[in-house]
Amino acid sequence: MNMVGRIVVVTVGLIASAAHADHHGMAMMGAADEPTAFDASVNLVAASYSTLTYVGDYEGVLPAVGWRRDRYGVGASLGLYRIMLNGLDQHGVGDLMVHADAMLYMHEHVSAGVMMMVSAPTGEEIFGLGMGHTMVMPSLYGTWSAGRVTVNAGAGFTRAVARIEVGHDHGVWPLVEPMNMSEVSWGAGCDLALGGGMHGAVRAAGGIPVGLMGHERVIGAARVGWGSGRVDTAVELQTGLVGDPFTIRGLVETALHF
Amino acid sequence: MYRLFVLIALVACSGGSPTPTGTPCADPDPLTGTTTLTWDNFGHDFMFKYCTNCHSSELPNSKRNGAPIYHDFDTLLGVLEVPDHIDEQTGWGPKAENNFMPGGGTNGRCPSTAGGSLDENCPEPTGDQRTKLSQWIACERLRSHDFVDAGVDASN
Repeated sequence: MNMVGRIVVVTVGLIASAAHADHHGMAMMGAADEPTAFDASVNLVAASYSTLTYVGDYEGVLPAVGWRRDRYGVGASLGLYRIMLNGLDQHGVGDLMVHADAMLYMHEHVSAGVMMMVSAPTGEEIFGLGMGHTMVMPSLYGTWSAGRVTVNAGAGFTRAVARIEVGHDHGVWPLVEPMNMSEVSWGAGCDLALGGGMHGAVRAAGGIPVGLMGHERVIGAARVGWGSGRVDTAVELQTGLVGDPFTIRGLVETALHF
Repeated sequence: MYRLFVLIALVACSGGSPTPTGTPCADPDPLTGTTTLTWDNFGHDFMFKYCTNCHSSELPNSKRNGAPIYHDFDTLLGVLEVPDHIDEQTGWGPKAENNFMPGGGTNGRCPSTAGGSLDENCPEPTGDQRTKLSQWIACERLRSHDFVDAGVDASN
């Protein structure tokens, strides 16, 4: 994979996290040196959490598909979860998430683009699986790469498509993908190519409530990934640093590029 | 892609959700009337019959069957911490008839004992009881309370 291709993979894979602050990336997208690419991935996630009103843990399987043509890409993901909340064991799907992105500027070392992510409230809000509202998450992102290092950053605005009472503190929700009803979401990270198809990355992401009552949130994450042929796999460990998005969360991603 | 957005729009617009009943408290509050609803003559019995096997301050987190922490209805103080939630989940009124609780989060099953397993079908409040619940909450939240002087432990 050439440098531009690696930038695209790192950018789209990690900047999706910025668009949906703590989300773990819709899919590891195909390389840019292939003009058209279709991707299918499966993410496994497990976490423990302790919020103001709920304590427990959850596990999830998140299949995702993505399609990219030149500078443009689209993707969709829907998680299936088992969650334990205050002694109640529940199973169900999360919110359906779709995204589209366009890389507006792409140079040998620098790229920038826009992404629109939308979630549909398919998950049960009462069980912490869904937000209960359609969420719209436009964002901007950029990357800079030199040698083995790629640095990325992005920021966006997240807002529920709903009439929201100003005085009602919805808090961060859902438990499996916490965010505010209205917030600026952000993310930044650094990826280091280790050679032999392996790379390591660290990143931080978070959300700052805007206009409505809410709660700030920051997570930190460390990731190791490796690729061989058409398969990319990554393992990521996340921890909540500010607020109570989760105590600790582990993620395994495997993507197949067609 | 067009079909996908149509699907999202349909999902976003479908399904019920907790809705404020819009129940007003009569003005003035009929506190001294013969039909006055209070914690002592209505709220306490309602809560202990339908709610406190999960929503109790005496239960550890692991025994609440999903009831949120700080949503404890074994005291009037606990009820008044989240009156909107009770009205939106269980109350009936001019704008909504909410039947989600009890049992809505547990497929209609409830514990027969405090903190127990979901071993029985949930007792169902009647429509009249749900209406009175919203009426009582609408008035009770407007009344002045002095929980310390009333001997209620505010730490619960």
